[in-house]
Amino acid sequence: MEFAEFYESARDDCLQVVLLNVGDRQLAEDLVAEAFAKAWVSWRKLRNYQAPRAWVVRAALNANVSRWRRHRREVGLDGHDQAVPAADSGVLSGELLAALRGLPLRQREVVTLRLLLDLDTETTARLLGIAPGTVGVHLHRAAETLRSALPHLADQEARQ
Amino acid sequence: MNDDSALGTVRDSLTAAKGTLSEAHMNTPLAAIVQRGRAARRRRRLIGLTGTAVVAASAAVVAGLTGFSGSAPGVQTAAFTLVSHANRTVTLTINPTELVDAAALQNDLKQYGIAAIVTSGSFCSSVPAPVGISQVVSFYPKATGPFTKIPRGVRPTITFNPAAMPAGAELSFGIFQHSSGEQQADFVLVDSSSYSCSSTPPQGPPASGVQFQDGSR
Repeated sequence: MEFAEFYESARDDCLQVVLLNVGDRQLAEDLVAEAFAKAWVSWRKLRNYQAPRAWVVRAALNANVSRWRRHRREVGLDGHDQAVPAADSGVLSGELLAALRGLPLRQREVVTLRLLLDLDTETTARLLGIAPGTVGVHLHRAAETLRSALPHLADQEARQ
Repeated sequence: MNDDSALGTVRDSLTAAKGTLSEAHMNTPLAAIVQRGRAARRRRRLIGLTGTAVVAASAAVVAGLTGFSGSAPGVQTAAFTLVSHANRTVTLTINPTELVDAAALQNDLKQYGIAAIVTSGSFCSSVPAPVGISQVVSFYPKATGPFTKIPRGVRPTITFNPAAMPAGAELSFGIFQHSSGEQQADFVLVDSSSYSCSSTPPQGPPASGVQFQDGSR
């Protein structure tokens, strides 16, 4: 597959997944554009990957964490590794997304790759450089957190 | 309710949330992406050229100090450089400001005869660990004990001696990126036929191993 073809087929999907994670439309577009630029540089290698769009999404999410860390240093705040808070853009809101963005980075990556990009456990593990069992642990913990943050999810399950 | 049901519900909710974004389209044209990519590639080449000069200078110093009779550049990426020497040792120089592609490094080490399990975000070990790591690897800055802090701005260099690897053993090299921005690298020999991996960074140096931390970010 040529890069242009890949970009055309994957760009909206990647943008939407990253937007869910960061909540700010302009920021998401910039992160995804930068990630695709990195993908263009490495395309000869990346084209053979099983899930190049997952690589792009992960690069964008990591860049967001780096951006947030730089910002945190500049403003001299202490804290732990959290997602960028939802911007006041009003584009996206809601308890589910707030809970998703509050997950530690690794859990958020696993949720994004496994549940939003539909990667299997093995591919997710390879992409993140962790053991398949660890993927399961992160996913389990993330699902627990999301469910506890959202009581109506538990109600839905009870009805199923 | 079981795990599958909980995951299914979370998946459905997230998919529905994503569905509400179907009108969000990436507006950046392909040409702009390619332009950014070319700029990134230029930056990377510039870093590479600078890195080559540093590595060449380091190699010259090392040759003078250790009597290496020659070296050949092997693999060079933004994150690491591998150089093989005439005395069959291999030097790995790490750029702490770049994230190492663990799979690529493992593959490159293998090409130089170094059996290694390189992991990012996890670390593999055996109990008990095979002994002899000090014959297989040496470090610059010199390991001052099982735990060594790398000064800011220093690119750590690891010299491998594949001939000293005990039979049936491999080198485990785990890299962790902490939320503080620091990187931690742990080294230990593992039994190739029996080891396990954990995503929890070793809190101290692994038994019979060495731990480095840097503060370069």
